[in-house]
Amino acid sequence: MPIRYFMASLAICSIFAATNIQASLKLPATVKVDPAALEFEPMCDPKIPASWRKAQMIEGVQIEASEQCSPDNPYLIAAVVKGTNNVSMNTLMETGLSPDAVIKTDDIDGDGDPDRIIIKLEVIELNGRTPDFEGMVPEFEIAPGIKPGAWVFAPKTSGMSTENFESIRANYLLRLPSPVIRVEVGDIVQIVVENTHYFPHTIHLHGVDHPFSHHEYNGGKHGNDGVPQFSELDLMPGQRRVYEFQARQPGTMFYHCHVQTHTHLAMGLAGMIIVEENRPNNWLQTLNIGGGKVRYPSVAVKEQYDQEYDLHYHAMDKELSQIIQKYNDPRLIAYEMNHKYDLTDSTEDYFTLNGLSFPYTLRESMIIAEPDQNIKLRMLNSGGELIAIHTHGHHAAITHYDGTEHNPIARITRDVFDMAPAQRLDLLLNTTNDGLHSYGEGAWLFHDHREKGITTDGMSEGGSMSMITYKSYLDEVGMPIAAHGTDLSIYFTKEYYQRRLPVWQHMDEAGFLGVPGEQSGFNAETKSTITNLTGGFIVGILVYLLIARRQKTWASVTSAIARIKSMKGGKANG
Amino acid sequence: MVKHLFIALISTIAFSTAVHAQNSTGHNAHDDTDHSEHSGHDHSAHNNSDHDHSHHDHTHDMDHSGHDHGHDHDSDDHSGMDHGHDHPMDMPGEHGMLHHDHDHADHHAHGEHHHHGDGHIMDHEGTHIMGQNFDKLPSSCSSISEDVEITVRAGRKYARQFPGTAFAFDQQEWRVKPCTRITWNFVNEDNIRHQFMMHGLPRYLYHLGMFHLENTGPRTVTGTMIVPAADETYLVHCDIAQHMEKGMKAQLVVGKGGKDIPSIPGLTPYVLNDTYEAIDLPKIADKANDGKTTKPIIQQITDFFNANVPFSGLALIGLLFGLVCAPLLVRIVALRKKEASNAP
Repeated sequence: MPIRYFMASLAICSIFAATNIQASLKLPATVKVDPAALEFEPMCDPKIPASWRKAQMIEGVQIEASEQCSPDNPYLIAAVVKGTNNVSMNTLMETGLSPDAVIKTDDIDGDGDPDRIIIKLEVIELNGRTPDFEGMVPEFEIAPGIKPGAWVFAPKTSGMSTENFESIRANYLLRLPSPVIRVEVGDIVQIVVENTHYFPHTIHLHGVDHPFSHHEYNGGKHGNDGVPQFSELDLMPGQRRVYEFQARQPGTMFYHCHVQTHTHLAMGLAGMIIVEENRPNNWLQTLNIGGGKVRYPSVAVKEQYDQEYDLHYHAMDKELSQIIQKYNDPRLIAYEMNHKYDLTDSTEDYFTLNGLSFPYTLRESMIIAEPDQNIKLRMLNSGGELIAIHTHGHHAAITHYDGTEHNPIARITRDVFDMAPAQRLDLLLNTTNDGLHSYGEGAWLFHDHREKGITTDGMSEGGSMSMITYKSYLDEVGMPIAAHGTDLSIYFTKEYYQRRLPVWQHMDEAGFLGVPGEQSGFNAETKSTITNLTGGFIVGILVYLLIARRQKTWASVTSAIARIKSMKGGKANG
Repeated sequence: MVKHLFIALISTIAFSTAVHAQNSTGHNAHDDTDHSEHSGHDHSAHNNSDHDHSHHDHTHDMDHSGHDHGHDHDSDDHSGMDHGHDHPMDMPGEHGMLHHDHDHADHHAHGEHHHHGDGHIMDHEGTHIMGQNFDKLPSSCSSISEDVEITVRAGRKYARQFPGTAFAFDQQEWRVKPCTRITWNFVNEDNIRHQFMMHGLPRYLYHLGMFHLENTGPRTVTGTMIVPAADETYLVHCDIAQHMEKGMKAQLVVGKGGKDIPSIPGLTPYVLNDTYEAIDLPKIADKANDGKTTKPIIQQITDFFNANVPFSGLALIGLLFGLVCAPLLVRIVALRKKEASNAP
């Protein structure tokens, strides 16, 4: 080989080598994210007026104060306590509910409250696909920028599914989770499902005392248990069905869709249903949209507790939730979901408390405590795995398992509460500062102690984490005051959950733990491109040479074969 | 962003941002401004003024409480609501559980409804008429050109003719002359809510530029409106989550019409399309084959190469490049050799 070719290849090698050797002397500097490049969301939902937080009387319904920064709409509470048939049109128009969403009539036992309750639910898709543009409708974020496709039972609404025509954000009644339903022992309850969705669904009333079938209705054609194989046929799109029961036992229960349950439940068609003890004049907050603090607790709860919270834990798989965002044709969605999606190979990615993940849990699912209170927590796990909820700074007592009272003498007081899928626990959270029940005032976390439960798609801090915040640790808008005084604003950015904001940047002035910039020289991608191109180039030349000098090649091949043959022959002979 | 597109559409028709439909006292004041449907209207101003609580700025003076049986109906009531008694289970009866086969009609004053200042009427079952307009002429019209009555049927069964949809109207397009007064009979044939919602109308006549009928079927609701003079195509849809996306979408063409609305089943193409691939489903023919499925030969070859040949696309490009360059290089080397042999 002529010397110049050798020199040329040496030069090329040295260029590659030089960049690698010199690299360690010139490591890239830390790239700081300029806060001005971030989209900070307001910590509280700007559409919710501060006046909603106050204790107030609407339609004769005395609604408790809620210190949350995004409290429930008090008009909505009044409308569902009285029944949408018993409130003024003005109040109704403040709620967005259909006038027949919650119908309350007939005080059958003469104890001062209505005993016939009709609750109308529709089936609504959130963050679904549209053939018109890249994006999702109607949009519902569980955390900044996080929009998993989901289905919910929603109270029957009126008008648009979005906030208004210019917005693609979902109307506030259309959200995760499916609403908490409250009825009384002895109420004649009809849950009317109007299937506004493009797939079949049913409702199964898990734990609620309900007859297997009600033969009087619809000629005994279907049952009342929601199971398509044994009780009733699937409720097809465009159809309506009534589920009817008169519960004899109270308790924190569970309702969910039983059609293709392995996917429909995880998609969000699951909610809490609570049967309250019968008391005179027991008007109930029939729906608690978004769960959280009950601003109009039942008579029985008020006898023993200062406050009540509904805490619904759920989990969703990203791959499942994306199916409705990938396809518009319902047939393709059905095929992907029923046939191709394999739940046994799935992992849960989104962990929610009352339909939201941290930091949005701080907006509406904090337990806001005062010292020496008895607080009732009703918890449901509708996710696919066991969860383990830990209350920092507190030990709480389990009063009920799956809606059934535990012997009060044998109550267990602990600080981690494990719940298998579908299980419910009622807790008594006592905020007496005695070193056992409470260690004192503070802004205490309460969270799933499976650590993935505090992530959102693997990014911490997220998941179903929330707080037990004492009023003395609450700022004027209803956010917890951190002991170190820095704010939580970085969590209220999309960029944080897109993994584009170094988690320690705000306290790492020198940038020791920030993200390094790009190394000068070839990056890995360019390197592989060059390697591939060069490799192909050499192969190309060889192929050409093989063809161009086929006679020589042929000759050398035949001679090689001959040599091998002769060697073999030699061996055989030898 | 189709919504933004319609903001633009709205802005071409509704010219003045200060005007609200509920400002019903001031209609005449707008006649001097013209809907020349162009140019430079400030969109953001719309958004600010009408953004939140679309319902809340109406005057709702009617009391919904107490189902007073003796509700007095106006004789000239145009509400157009048909109150069928076809929800026996919905209406509470008075005796024990599970007995609902008797007629509950007298428990509720069917036919009770509530009028609001801006042509918004809603009854106790959520039947809506919004943006009703019998006689207020759009400023671009000097008179009503003709009276038309159109019956629109909505339901799942109308989606059957369009593969890949779930809900639909019975028709996907209606054509009328400019300044037509249309009476819409909206017949919802499903047992759920549907809507007939039209957008982009002049805001000084129609609150938020909308004409909107809504009910829970099976039921009919009737409403009347007057279209402006301009050639325009208006979106008609059901805004319940995924109903428009899954087929319940149509357009009203006034005069020569404007730009077609996308994604109307059977009429206009989707902006974003799904891809369809053959799915291996059992066929009778497979049975004869003893259950063995044979793939076409090309598929087999491709599969084989995909599975067995580790060769990247870029390497392939390199190979082609090499094949082209190799003869040149050989030529160069040969020339050099010749030179070298000639030199001494």
